[in-house]
Amino acid sequence: MEKPAPLGYGLGLRPVYYDEILASRPPIDWFEIISENYMLAGGRPLAMLDRIRADYPIVMHGVSMSLASTDPLNMDYLRQLKALAERVEPAWISDHVAWTGVHGVTLHDLLPIPYTRESLAHIVERIQRVQDFLKRRLVVENASTYVSFVDSEMSEHEFVREMAERADCLLLLDVNNVFVSSFNHGFDPVAFIDGVPAERVVQFHMAGHTDNETHRVDTHDQPVCDEVWALYEHARRRCGDVSAMIERDDNYPPFSELLDELQHMRDIDARIANERALSAA
Amino acid sequence: MKLADFQSLFQQSMLAGAGEADKPLLKKLRSSPRGATPETLLGVYQSGYRLRLADFVAQDHPGLRAVLGAETFETLIDDYIDQRPSRDPNARFFTTGLPDFMKDCPTWRDDARAVSMALFERAMVDAFDAADKTPLAVQALAEFSSNDWQRLAFDFDPSLALLELAAGTIAAYDAAISEEPPEKIDASAAGDGIEYAAVWRVDHESAYRQLEPDEYVALCEARAGHAFGDICQMTAFQQSGEIAPERLAQCLSSWFQEGLIIGLRVRGDDQSSNTPSSA
Repeated sequence: MEKPAPLGYGLGLRPVYYDEILASRPPIDWFEIISENYMLAGGRPLAMLDRIRADYPIVMHGVSMSLASTDPLNMDYLRQLKALAERVEPAWISDHVAWTGVHGVTLHDLLPIPYTRESLAHIVERIQRVQDFLKRRLVVENASTYVSFVDSEMSEHEFVREMAERADCLLLLDVNNVFVSSFNHGFDPVAFIDGVPAERVVQFHMAGHTDNETHRVDTHDQPVCDEVWALYEHARRRCGDVSAMIERDDNYPPFSELLDELQHMRDIDARIANERALSAA
Repeated sequence: MKLADFQSLFQQSMLAGAGEADKPLLKKLRSSPRGATPETLLGVYQSGYRLRLADFVAQDHPGLRAVLGAETFETLIDDYIDQRPSRDPNARFFTTGLPDFMKDCPTWRDDARAVSMALFERAMVDAFDAADKTPLAVQALAEFSSNDWQRLAFDFDPSLALLELAAGTIAAYDAAISEEPPEKIDASAAGDGIEYAAVWRVDHESAYRQLEPDEYVALCEARAGHAFGDICQMTAFQQSGEIAPERLAQCLSSWFQEGLIIGLRVRGDDQSSNTPSSA
């Protein structure tokens, strides 16, 4: 399996941190952008991105490809995405196992699907078409979900594994999403991570969520919690050297707190590496 | 159920919000192992949808919120979300249709000050991410001989919007974005007249300036491609001869200083020449 080279430890690039990043050039290995925020004619977002791109690798992460939608693929969107990719030259482009609307409407959310053979064939065909259009392998992320469906014929990780293998795409394993969905639907998050094809995973997402007692919501507005850190360690042990990053999209903390979370990630990985070195000795 | 039918049902439920229409979809949901009701879990999507869209509108329209007051502003947003679902994959463009919706909707179209504020704020947002062009310095005029001046025409930055607004719109906006914005702005004190504004982008930030009527006319004419000499005559005609070429030269100087002009050309008889006659 040919994969892009690991990038190290990254952060989601958000406008609130532009000035600090440009002023301090922090020790971060790469940034991930929300593609749609830069699919514009011009202005500050693109200007800031160009400056940051000069110093850091960039990964493009989209939220509107609507891979699972039964509407036709939005070719205007894909053309804009491709144009942005030509400007940014990202290490890879990602989006989600989700749909965002039908009948021409966009609901601006990553919506769930029943995990059926029909859904699987549908999303596989669309990923292949997107890959052909973009002339690169797509990286596809597991989304957080709050409802599951009686019509589902397989588990989410079975769906993701089959999708990746049939579409020959790569995977973004969102560890927080695995945890949130496992809590909401009562599946084993470790079994999920063990069930996805590790050789196709090129990126980890880590983020915080909101605990509503009976369900958890993927809000990206809090630090990563201990359970998700524990799951990260398991994912790291299973998937090896994979680019990893922190997503923060609300309740923005001082930038140093995000750097601390990245350091925590590095510390976990260093501990795993030490253990492996000792056991090999 | 086919995937297409399922997605239609799910979307219908999100657009309508919680209610009787959810019943067919609720039957399709598995029980929560944590005791959350299906309605609660579906509500995560339903409420999230409206909250997200409302947040997009609120971010782009602090002035409109201040003019209408928080409660009426929320009613407007609800109406807009209900009647104009988003159709652009980029959330940034959801709010673009708000002023047109207000002008079309019997509930809102008679509130001239609110519509005016919505138009002004849309121009501010549009200017922010308009295409990038490099402004010309006033020294660029030196490339043209004095013989060319009468036929000199101008290209303007794509971020520039020229607006005819309800009087008091700009002052209300200034108050709304001040450090301590009032809960509601008394727009009725502004009078019934009109005012003019230019909105554009400078150094990556949206900028605005109120225009005198003569400068507004001159800018409109210049952006329409009319030459300097023609504008002198046209504006002078419209203002009963009170605009002297000196006034227009003063305007021109400020347009350069403010980064509004990105191109200069000499109009020929065929109006296609774009080079100075003596460079």
